[in-house]
Amino acid sequence: MPLLELKEVNKVFKSGKSEIEALKSTNFIAEAGELIAVIGPSGSGKSTFLTIAGGLQTPSNGDVLINGNNLIELKEKKRASLRLKEIGFVLQSSNLVPFLTVQQQMKLLDKVKKDNLREEQLEQMYDSLGIGELLNSFPSDLSGGQRQRVAIAKALYTDPSIILADEPTASLDSDRAFEVMDMLKAATKQNQKTTIVVTHDTRLIDYCDKVYKITDGQLKLEA
Amino acid sequence: MFLAWNEMKNNKLRFALIIGVLTLVSYLVFFLSGLANGLENLNKEAVDKWEADGIILTDESDINLPQSSFEQDEYDGDGASETAMLGQFNSIATSGDNKANVAIFGIKEDEFIMPDVTEGESFSETGEVIADDSLKDEGFKVGDKLELSSIDETLTIVGFTEDAKFNAAPVLYGTLETYQKVRFGDAAEANEDLINAYVVRADTLDDLSVDDSLQLVSTQSFIENMPGYTEQNLTLTLMIYFLFIVSAVILAIFLYVLTIQKISIFGVMKAQGISNRYLSNSVIAQTFLLALFGVIVGFGLTILTGLFLPAAVPVAFNYVDMALYAAILVVVSVLGALFSVQTIVKIDPLRAIGG
Repeated sequence: MPLLELKEVNKVFKSGKSEIEALKSTNFIAEAGELIAVIGPSGSGKSTFLTIAGGLQTPSNGDVLINGNNLIELKEKKRASLRLKEIGFVLQSSNLVPFLTVQQQMKLLDKVKKDNLREEQLEQMYDSLGIGELLNSFPSDLSGGQRQRVAIAKALYTDPSIILADEPTASLDSDRAFEVMDMLKAATKQNQKTTIVVTHDTRLIDYCDKVYKITDGQLKLEA
Repeated sequence: MFLAWNEMKNNKLRFALIIGVLTLVSYLVFFLSGLANGLENLNKEAVDKWEADGIILTDESDINLPQSSFEQDEYDGDGASETAMLGQFNSIATSGDNKANVAIFGIKEDEFIMPDVTEGESFSETGEVIADDSLKDEGFKVGDKLELSSIDETLTIVGFTEDAKFNAAPVLYGTLETYQKVRFGDAAEANEDLINAYVVRADTLDDLSVDDSLQLVSTQSFIENMPGYTEQNLTLTLMIYFLFIVSAVILAIFLYVLTIQKISIFGVMKAQGISNRYLSNSVIAQTFLLALFGVIVGFGLTILTGLFLPAAVPVAFNYVDMALYAAILVVVSVLGALFSVQTIVKIDPLRAIGG
């Protein structure tokens, strides 16, 4: 069973009398262990695709299945619960809480979900992401690259089966960008997760198993 | 609580300011309640000391003690377990440079409204009085001769008692003969049977029967009909109630602004799957903590202020009332936070993360 499947999904936005189809009828499958890139220019529908896949918005038509659970049939409360359990978000805007230290960001997740990474797994993750020395730092004390690494750690901490990353390398220099992709790839392969990276940065496609291109809301498999 | 507490720890100045505002509001509430209580006592503490169930006055007096006057034999104690005769007269007492408004109570030493003597001795002859000990603060002492306004009579303080004010005036307790002497002067003998009221204790006031010319009122009703008493209490109580609303509104505004500033943070947390319930509970917990800290500091400040107030300020803190007002302040503050909860529930994580 695929970890993530979109069946005949589209999204139409209405503006007055006119309609804009931000995502045209899309079929998409992501299996465990796959790192997938969705590339396309600004306004092409990348974020719409990602937020529908992550259950943050409802498609106009079609089904979104996460580990066999159809998101469309779930109410918001259960959808939020499924997001917490199955999906780790690495967002374009930093997804860190400004008044919590790096360690407290993880503790917050402990408060809302019990079966997160064990202590030794957590320490291993801190080491591999190179943030072990930053645990008592607040987000405002971190550089852009450090913040992004902490955001990845936060996404991985709940041990989700799917990681959805929206422009995870934005505002990073090339070295840092490649470093982040290395980390996402390692997390995907070692733990048999599915990672979908939405980006307009074509330098990242070498890291990915599949590359989809989205143009004017139409998703196509490129490689 | 985790989120709420850590945010407060990390933004100490911001939250200290909110606690400061709540401290001032609670300080004002506690102080007003102390003032209301103190003023209430000024009016009725002599009546409270009677521990009586009712009072018999003339029907035409409109429940006003000085306006009531009748003969002792107009009531025979029917239905009461204990009765006490009371004559009352207001005057201004002067001794040397000391001058004070006083209420003179004429009573019988062997009846239950006789107060305990805390200094000196009890009255035994006409013209001797026991005074409320607040007069000591004004310079009066045992042995002082008191000249009374508009009457050529002199009273002598032979002792003091505590907590004895009536209608804000310290009470001078003397015999009924003393009362008649200061009230009627040379005509005292001709009016020796006249009193203002009977104070009664009874299992139930329904058992008492009085003549048509008299009326029986409960002690509580008698107190509430004292001139200005109800108006004064209502005014202060109304101010306290307004302060509850002010406190709720202030905290609601502060928290609403803070919530608006955190929309994107809440949105990101909601996108991650953190429930509305957890975030709402966090805001409510934060409000509870802020209100609790504010009320505790306000309470401490009030008690501290009370230690340095001059005796002339009629403040009496009732800790049960203060605890109740503190609880109400916390509850209304939490209610004020419901606006923020509503805002959190409405946050669309998609918009908050810029999707």
